[in-house]
Amino acid sequence: MEPLKPKVVHDLAAAAAPGDVEKYERLLSERFTRDPDVAQAPADVAIGKARELELEKLYRKLYPQGLSSTPSVKKAHP
Amino acid sequence: MANATPSSNIIVHRAGNSKKPNPFTIVIVSNPALESTRGSGHFVIDPITANHAAFASCAAYIETSLFGGLPGQAPALLADPAIAPEVRVVSLFVTGLAAVDANCLVAEDNVSNLVMTRRTRFVPFLASYGLSGDVIYAVTGSTSHTRASAYFTSDDDAQPGNGFSLDGVAFCHRYEYIIPGTIALPVGSTSITAVHEFGHALSSYSNGMIVDLYVDDGPGVNSKRARPIPPSFANYDGTVMGSDPVRDGLGYPVGWQSYHCELLVKANPAIMDDYWLAPGGVPEACQHDRITEQFLKDRLLAKISRP
Repeated sequence: MEPLKPKVVHDLAAAAAPGDVEKYERLLSERFTRDPDVAQAPADVAIGKARELELEKLYRKLYPQGLSSTPSVKKAHP
Repeated sequence: MANATPSSNIIVHRAGNSKKPNPFTIVIVSNPALESTRGSGHFVIDPITANHAAFASCAAYIETSLFGGLPGQAPALLADPAIAPEVRVVSLFVTGLAAVDANCLVAEDNVSNLVMTRRTRFVPFLASYGLSGDVIYAVTGSTSHTRASAYFTSDDDAQPGNGFSLDGVAFCHRYEYIIPGTIALPVGSTSITAVHEFGHALSSYSNGMIVDLYVDDGPGVNSKRARPIPPSFANYDGTVMGSDPVRDGLGYPVGWQSYHCELLVKANPAIMDDYWLAPGGVPEACQHDRITEQFLKDRLLAKISRP
């Protein structure tokens, strides 16, 4: 997963509580460390569901009006 | 619905080892359809299908960065004389396909601006063009989602490979995959993003994951968790490698438990770390840390050596 550019981190952090961006990034990255096409143990399934719920909460907090609310996010790639 | 008469254009950028029936291959494909958003089952034509020139430019960027040809780029893994001639690179530009599940290789994430591969669709899609790849880039023109991501390879652990040990545990650099390493890459990607994602995609769910170093994550081949940080990071196949006590000058944030392997070049962050923070704003100067470099090299050499 591509790291966020510093300007994007700055913009997101402005709308967030301390630690929110770091937690959001960690949870996003963690998603890729489980093979999505291998059957998971029930405990891992529950962990995955909880992670998605937390990501959704953080996403709404960091992007209150969707992706367009953080201009530098879209400008990251010209 | 299709947007034109289907057509395709295959270019062999590097032939690789043409004496082998199945040389190590990197495929770069234009994503025909996007799932917007991930898991929705709603498919739209990917804008990249209407921009052959942008796709060609991105394919050239991917190849250049993988082989270390960007301005100011540090020596690249694939540029190794033992590796470079063995690597086949092929691009496929397709247009005019219907926006349906089978043609959709990339999804727009529902909780971020990440593009993410739909990894199980790659093998059958490419097979219909007579192609297969160990690592596959799907280039997308998504206008809302502009951040790259990758899934590791799912190895075929029933097939042979080159064995190795990591901290006394036996693993194997497998020759074959069940699902190849897949990368969703926005068409406007720059710098070493393609190289960073290649590091993930070449690694393996069952035989060693190369993880992001800019989050307090792990464990992976290149990330462990402990405090205080021990001087030795790992014993990789009989070689003891040191830890990076200071995280390449970026510093480990307070509260982190993860730590990394020693760097080959201490002046810059590792490629799998936050390369945007490289001193002087030159991410291209970044290199892998010691264990990542050796692990990926050995994995490449194993795949290259397959019959």
